Amino acid sequence: MKPRIAISILAVGAGLATVPWLGLPAFYESFLYLLCHWIVLAISWNILSGYTGYFSFGHGAFFGAGLYATAFLAGKQDWPFLATLPAAALAAALLGTALGAVVFRVASVRGELFALLTLAVTFVLATIILNTPIDGGPGVYLIGVQLPRLGPSANASIYLMGLAAAVAAVLLAYLIHAAKLGAGLFAIHDDEDVAEVMGVPTYRFKLWALALSCALAGIAGGIHAVFVSYVTVAETFSIAVPLGVVLMSILGGSRHWLGPAVGAIAVTGLQYFFTSGEAAVTGRALFGLVLVLAILFLPGGLLGLLERLRRKTPSPVAADAKPAVQPALAPSPAASGTPLLQVEGLFKSFIGVRALEDVTLEVRKGEILGLVGPNGSGKSTFINVVSGHYRADAGRIRFEGRDLAGADGHRFARAGIARTYQIPRPFAQMSVIENVALARMFGGVGCSRAEALAEAAEFVAFAGLGPHAQARPDALNLHQRKFLELARALAARPKLLMLDEVLSGLTPAEIDEAIAMIRRIRDRGTTIVFVEHIMRAVVALVDRVVVLNHGALIAEGSAAEVMREPAVRAAYLGTTHA
Amino acid sequence: MSKMAKLAAAAAIALGALGVLGEAQAQGAKPIVVGSTLALTGPLSATGLVHKLVGEIYVDDLNRRGGLLGRKVEWKLMDDQSKPDLARTLYEQLLTADKVDLLMGPYATGAILSAIGVAQRYNKLLISHTMGIPSLAKYDMHFPAWSLGPNPQATVPTTVFDAVAQAPKPPKTVAIVTSKFPSVHFLSLGAREVFKQKGLTEVLFLEWEFGNRDFGPIAARVKDAKPDMVWSGDIGLEGNMLLEAMKKIDYVPPLHVHTYPAPGPMAAAPETDKALSLTIFEEHAPFTANPVAAQFVKTFKERATAAGLPYTAVETQAAASFTAWRIFEASVVATKSLDDRKMADWLKTAQVPTIQGTLRFDRGNNFGDDLMRIKQVQNKAWVTVWPKQWAAPGATIKMP
Repeated sequence: MKPRIAISILAVGAGLATVPWLGLPAFYESFLYLLCHWIVLAISWNILSGYTGYFSFGHGAFFGAGLYATAFLAGKQDWPFLATLPAAALAAALLGTALGAVVFRVASVRGELFALLTLAVTFVLATIILNTPIDGGPGVYLIGVQLPRLGPSANASIYLMGLAAAVAAVLLAYLIHAAKLGAGLFAIHDDEDVAEVMGVPTYRFKLWALALSCALAGIAGGIHAVFVSYVTVAETFSIAVPLGVVLMSILGGSRHWLGPAVGAIAVTGLQYFFTSGEAAVTGRALFGLVLVLAILFLPGGLLGLLERLRRKTPSPVAADAKPAVQPALAPSPAASGTPLLQVEGLFKSFIGVRALEDVTLEVRKGEILGLVGPNGSGKSTFINVVSGHYRADAGRIRFEGRDLAGADGHRFARAGIARTYQIPRPFAQMSVIENVALARMFGGVGCSRAEALAEAAEFVAFAGLGPHAQARPDALNLHQRKFLELARALAARPKLLMLDEVLSGLTPAEIDEAIAMIRRIRDRGTTIVFVEHIMRAVVALVDRVVVLNHGALIAEGSAAEVMREPAVRAAYLGTTHA
Repeated sequence: MSKMAKLAAAAAIALGALGVLGEAQAQGAKPIVVGSTLALTGPLSATGLVHKLVGEIYVDDLNRRGGLLGRKVEWKLMDDQSKPDLARTLYEQLLTADKVDLLMGPYATGAILSAIGVAQRYNKLLISHTMGIPSLAKYDMHFPAWSLGPNPQATVPTTVFDAVAQAPKPPKTVAIVTSKFPSVHFLSLGAREVFKQKGLTEVLFLEWEFGNRDFGPIAARVKDAKPDMVWSGDIGLEGNMLLEAMKKIDYVPPLHVHTYPAPGPMAAAPETDKALSLTIFEEHAPFTANPVAAQFVKTFKERATAAGLPYTAVETQAAASFTAWRIFEASVVATKSLDDRKMADWLKTAQVPTIQGTLRFDRGNNFGDDLMRIKQVQNKAWVTVWPKQWAAPGATIKMP
């Protein structure tokens, strides 16, 4: 986090807080309030949906929960208005958290299903409020509610409350964005399964994002109740709120902490600009056209455009990166024979297919263990299970004596296990250095975001990707993407590194380069499980080999020994029937 | 009084008179600006456009007649986009930045309440077109153009009851089904009480949420209940959808009353024949015996046709809008002033003749008499059938 930015946000807020005393026409307070209101709501949506990719159409519900909490407590229970605001935030946050606690456990409820589910929550909540004394049908009238006197007029007081909420929202958006939480949320956005395996506690992070998002929407609702002074279910729970905030966030740039605020200002300002009664319909059509053009030609939003322009300038990290840098790896001893990983009786099945069957093996500290077998033998499944990507059906996974079977994926990474993917799965919206930093932040013992970014440069350089540090993964070729996988895994400073066919698709020269690099990694003390089809690399690198076939372990020993095993030869070459 | 004092007093009076004269001359040089918002876009825009057209017709006519206090009238209209929060902000702008002389209200309850809040803060008179829930309009300088009376939840169902009592087969049982749209819902709840007091047996009470599109189950329940009359608290196209659903199950309700249907569609469809509803004005005698009303009906039809509005007849919305401008003009002319307080004080004791009848504002929250009448679709046109003095010539309530 840069204190300069936080101070700037507060300074802008303090400057805007003087508006009621500047002698401007009072309507400026109302207009600025509307800007603040939409800034809070747009940021609220973006913290959940822009950061994590969980697209919410339910912000009408969270906004409405806050609005009706205040309307009911202040309008019907005579609570002091200010006391209703925490209740509004809490009501919305509880609603969101209760929803998330269930939904986030179900891996299939992502994307459009999540959006539809949140939309359904809006209708359910509207029905409850409409059919209970919270509203009951006629709406709630709040004109008599006493407002705290924060400014020279009631109007000014509402504006100042809206401003305070907006400043808090922008600050919160920045703090999250700059913190590990933000990095984790963006990783969830790009590839949730990989994020979990790299150590991001995805479930907890999503719940936090949802709770904070809902609390902000609830506060916006609470203040807005007294601004409109008459609240009805139909107007509160309309689709206008979620559509509006989606539009604002996308227009401003949903990957940037300030994007939704910029979008909210642009959309609200444009809407206000087209309020002349002379050509209202034409004005609205023009407003729509402006937005369509902006979204078509600015896919990353207004701030995304600025970001792209900024990225075109090579960063100091890229320019200064030295390929010869040797980053510090995990402090593992050289090969000692002591078991690091012990797998016992591991089973894993997929709908009718047994991918792992009673696999028992151990990986010793400091060694390179080759894991070979024909296609479909279960090698990748083994890595997926031992890295926490899949949960084992049965068996034990003891890592440094601790049983990890059944644990969430991020606990494997925290324990010191890292892996690469056979088909690279980088976080597509992050730069190379951000990809690597994320692994450093969450893998192993972890560290702060700033430390991770600083250290990531070394791993990027080690993998020979220095000149591409600020590039997006889609700008890399396959060889570079494989090395990005490697850099990312190394950045976690793993005790156990599992390389899943890291050499496939590379040219002979690239393979030689990769073999040399893996040797360097092992020489620094990292234990490696090496899954590979390219036997010359296996023979060149490994200390021991285990062979899987049809999910079962069929041989174990030195490379030369196992290749002589009849079962291994049969697995690779088939049996003769003549 | 000393001589000096007398001189000073005379000088003060002279200066004051000069000041007044100067002000009057200055006022003569510039138009009176009236500010308001309407829902010209968004979900309420269909009705908003009717109010816009009526306002333009009225202001054009007013200026043809020489304006007000010798000054032209300029209407500064803004689009609140059907959003009460925007309506509030625009009224703030009209008053504090554009500095309009007077206000005219918007038309939907939410926007009206937003505008009332602003008017109250700046002590401005606000005349609203169709404020549906009188109990919420507590501001003493708010005046409604829609003559609902202070307790429409009691008086309107009573009028309905009196009307259907004249039907060839007066009802003994009633099914009450209603939207939860606020200004409709509270009227329907009032109807429950009134009908109970009048001895009608309620055989069914159902509610639906505003926005509901599936009226099949409601139609089936009504059919099963076999009521003599259906009170349908509906708004917009809800009534049409309910009757369509009834038609699909071969059910024709004996008597059916609809609160605020879209007038065009409700008059046009075969299944809506003999539908009853509420009104303050229809295009027939005795309403059109008033030459002002007759001229308005003619002009509205021409201008609405030219503007491409789907329904070109004057009914409740257009009449309420016309009435609002009439109240506005009457109060300025009577007080010879643009002083909001003076105009409001005058209105509180005044009787203003309008195209819907004579309005007064001396009861709860400045709502005067309930002038609601009952109309019925007969031969694909609305005709007023109750009370008798406002019924179209020869028109009586008919059974479907």
